[in-house]
Amino acid sequence: MNGIGDIADMATTTTNPVRQATRRYFIEFAISMTAYVATICISRSLLYGPMRTASPGWQYVIALLPLVPILLVFGAIVRYMLGVDELLRRIQVNSLALAGGATALIAAAYGLIEGDYAPKLSAWWTFVTFMMAWLIATFFVRRRYQ
Amino acid sequence: MKNRLKVLRAENDWTQAELADRIGVARQTIVALEKGKYSPSLELAFRLSKLFGKPVEQIFDPESVDGKPD
Repeated sequence: MNGIGDIADMATTTTNPVRQATRRYFIEFAISMTAYVATICISRSLLYGPMRTASPGWQYVIALLPLVPILLVFGAIVRYMLGVDELLRRIQVNSLALAGGATALIAAAYGLIEGDYAPKLSAWWTFVTFMMAWLIATFFVRRRYQ
Repeated sequence: MKNRLKVLRAENDWTQAELADRIGVARQTIVALEKGKYSPSLELAFRLSKLFGKPVEQIFDPESVDGKPD
């Protein structure tokens, strides 16, 4: 969510609360994403291996295992937004609002043609679309203040 | 909103990063403030006022407010 120069600034030891919040965010994000990859590998290998014949309830639990690190990422984002200064928070809030609106529009538009004129897609694509829209929105909102 | 932040920062021989550290914001925020692309909250304006030892109106130019949101 920050530029390369900002990230380099954040690497230095400081008492600036914004830098501390940003450094903590990158650490938490890295740990959470590592855990996400690990849980994906574990849950998939279990579902296609020893848990293949388990009850559906257990299979749901195993399939949803990667949700735990995703919740950790969500917590890291919330802590980051509460820890940064007013301009960075404004940039993120505006970006999230734009991304949410864009995702809703895209989902609604695709919903109107899905099945008849376009293939049915997994609900997972809504999440992917939102994250991409957030990234793009952050880029353009940041530019307003540069 | 136009302001004298860049001049005041130069008078104190501070870099943007040093000023950012002194008032607890990101350097990006200092850049936006100096370019007049972002109007600070009252709280941030008063923090800057306290840091530079000058009234808010001597740092920020109220005449330059155009009524448009940031």
